[in-house]
Amino acid sequence: MKFLNKIDKKYVLTLIICIFVALLCGAFIMLATGFNPIEAYATIIEGAIGKPRLLGNTIEKFMTLCLLGLATAIGAKGGLFNVGGEGQLFFGALASTMVGLTLSSLPAPIVILLAFLTAVVVGGFYAWIPAMLKVKLNVSEIITTIMLNTVAIKVVTYLVNGPWVSSSPAVSKGTDYLPDKLAFTKLIAASNLSTGFIFGAILTFLIWYFMKMTTVGLQMKLTGENPRFARFSGLKSDKIMVGSMVASGAICGFVGMTLVYGYNGQMVDTISSDYYFDGMLVAMIMNYNPIGIVIMSVFFAILNTGANMIDMTMGISSQIYDIIFSVLIFLMAANKGFIEWFNQSQAKKKARAIAKEKAGKEGI
Amino acid sequence: MQDSIIKFENITMQFPGVLANDNVSFDIKQGEVFALVGENGAGKSTLMNVLYGINTPTAGNVYIKGKKMEKFHPSEAIACGVGMVHQHFMLVPSFTVAQNIALSKEPRKSKIFYDLKAAEKATSDLVEDYGLVVDPKAVVEEISVGLQQRVEILKTLYRGADILILDEPTAVLTPQETEELFDVIRRIVKEKNMTVIIITHKLNEVMAISDRVGVMRKGKLVGVENTKDVNERILASMMVGRDVLLGKVNKTGTPGDVKIEVKDLHVTDNRGLLAVKGVDLNVRAGEILGVAAIEGNGQSELLEAITGLRDIEAGEVYIEGTKINGMDPGQIRHLGLAHIPEDRIATGVSVQSDITDNLIIGKETRPEFSKYKLQLKKSTIVRYANEIFEKFDMRGAGVDTKVGSLSGGNMQKVVVAREFSFNTPVLIIAQPTRGVDVGAIEFIHQCIIDKRNEGCAIILVSADLDEVFRLSDRIITMYEGKITGEFAEGEIDKMGISYYMTGDRSNEAGGEA
Repeated sequence: MKFLNKIDKKYVLTLIICIFVALLCGAFIMLATGFNPIEAYATIIEGAIGKPRLLGNTIEKFMTLCLLGLATAIGAKGGLFNVGGEGQLFFGALASTMVGLTLSSLPAPIVILLAFLTAVVVGGFYAWIPAMLKVKLNVSEIITTIMLNTVAIKVVTYLVNGPWVSSSPAVSKGTDYLPDKLAFTKLIAASNLSTGFIFGAILTFLIWYFMKMTTVGLQMKLTGENPRFARFSGLKSDKIMVGSMVASGAICGFVGMTLVYGYNGQMVDTISSDYYFDGMLVAMIMNYNPIGIVIMSVFFAILNTGANMIDMTMGISSQIYDIIFSVLIFLMAANKGFIEWFNQSQAKKKARAIAKEKAGKEGI
Repeated sequence: MQDSIIKFENITMQFPGVLANDNVSFDIKQGEVFALVGENGAGKSTLMNVLYGINTPTAGNVYIKGKKMEKFHPSEAIACGVGMVHQHFMLVPSFTVAQNIALSKEPRKSKIFYDLKAAEKATSDLVEDYGLVVDPKAVVEEISVGLQQRVEILKTLYRGADILILDEPTAVLTPQETEELFDVIRRIVKEKNMTVIIITHKLNEVMAISDRVGVMRKGKLVGVENTKDVNERILASMMVGRDVLLGKVNKTGTPGDVKIEVKDLHVTDNRGLLAVKGVDLNVRAGEILGVAAIEGNGQSELLEAITGLRDIEAGEVYIEGTKINGMDPGQIRHLGLAHIPEDRIATGVSVQSDITDNLIIGKETRPEFSKYKLQLKKSTIVRYANEIFEKFDMRGAGVDTKVGSLSGGNMQKVVVAREFSFNTPVLIIAQPTRGVDVGAIEFIHQCIIDKRNEGCAIILVSADLDEVFRLSDRIITMYEGKITGEFAEGEIDKMGISYYMTGDRSNEAGGEA
């Protein structure tokens, strides 16, 4: 249990307090709009894990959030802030779908492998562009990745509703459906949870291992913290930065593929509704700590799936999820300043006490 | 002259995790030069910031001219006649001397228009009155550091200061400029009956200029003495609590083959201007080449070019006989070079990482620390870090302490420990003891000498002339990107060398001889 000592206890404590306050805020809003918050939170839990199908959806959601959070973390550790995961995800999803549709006559394992490689390469390439702009020309990657998101989503929207739209009358929108043989096997019937989860879990482990246990992970961390120091130490800091960004994009591309092959079955322009940004925020809340991201993803997955249930059964808008999420982000941002203030006031109190004691002694 | 003008009463200043001032009480008398000495982090600057109203003390009181000051701001301190000249000058580089001096209290025509003539007149009046010669119309960025400091002093006088605080005023000055500053201080104290507080950690200056001296250690006032009653040795032991006046170092061996060779090197600075203009030098194994130069004369760019951090515009550099033009820092390190950079926080460490990670970087792909150059052998690495930690006597919580929370001395030891343990034949060392306490200075000096005696070729750049003189076998001076003199050990003294640090003397010497 040695690793427990390494955990920043103050951080965990304030995190728990912040979560509690965020839930409380959600409760107030529900009260104000005439709902019973206790009942609502109970329904959220039930809606997230009450039935096997719901539990499956929650686990799938967890995996998506977790992988996207880790994608953000990899970029951030290497010193680049990837805000463009949504675009990388869209292109990864589209590319893997097109591979599946075009090569559907080949044996399934080969097609899936090719689709995987395509998704990873396309996602990675789409992150490579802003990374190179940053390293070579010092263009802010935050701006370029945000803008490339819009480009990706618009292009995909055009393609899946224009040239590549399904000609089958049974399909209301988007591309053709992938043949059944290509879809990932469901782990829980009728839920979103498929064998994609297993790949995701393996990938999660690999990312953690890579970041914490390898020389490249160490080099990446030091480059992210102080690029000048990395260069001084003889590391190829430019390559490391670009590499971390490409890795981040590749993960996003893979997640895009799992969304299609895992449960959606076809590519549509609504394949993701800001999933990457949810993952990114989870990563930011947890200071890009991989294990922290895994744990926090569980919490938000429950909240997210459960929020659908209160929408359906109680009529509370599922946007309550967004509200709680936003409040938590806000609190965590304010948290740093709060901890600082708290430490300082404690220190001052202590100093006053010491000074008083001394003055008292000298008086005698 | 014996009236108390400033009184500190039980000043305690608590910063998070650091007790910067611990119950400090003493008086400063009207018309004296009071020196405040102590190691880095002893609390000198904090105490002066309390006096100037920048820090509000956690407990205790300050009296200026008998008036109790409570929760006051620098503007109120200025109104009481306190003037402070910071270590880093607060001047507008593109303004003239007069504009800088009048800043925030500008003379006006018809209450609206800036009266530049009046500002210049006021400046030249001050210049005459106090004998601080400087041209009011000169642009600040074009005058020397010594003159800029005069402008800072004039600025405080313009605002009516009669108590002057000088924070490490000689850190950026040559010995000659220091002498001139001391003349100015003596004059304003004697003729204008001003009070001067000088913060320093150079003890010879304390002896030269002050009437009384206060010694601080770890936030506490160790004592206040009349300067004539003490000597440098006594003060040094008061400062550090033990006797550590730096003695002579023990050098052995004879120089071997040439390890570093620089030929007609040209390098530009960040603004694209030539900073190194045709430097030739070579360093042999078992030899320390000291570079004496005032900051900004190309010595930083020279080292950055040799270590690959900066592009070479023209000329050649050879390390161990291999030409390094166009190589990146990693490739140059492979040739057998290690480097202690001048700015450890910006370049030498990652403050967010722990000591272990900072020590291992550069060695992480060695077979003893990783399998297949990929999988880190964590326990071996921690054991190795602990070994180095013990060897270099870094006092901190442990190897998992974040480097950012270490003191300057311990942080520098992390850099020294990492770079020296590469065991390279070539060492490039810049400002090895800047902002480091006396105990650590001795330790780092000994490490450098050990490396020299083992046969390393070393280039040493330092703003501290004592350090250059103590360690070097040979000294070169640099001025405006050129080498202006080369001296063997013992051939020249500190006063003499400053002549070569402040100008290119090759023509004069030739002409006069």
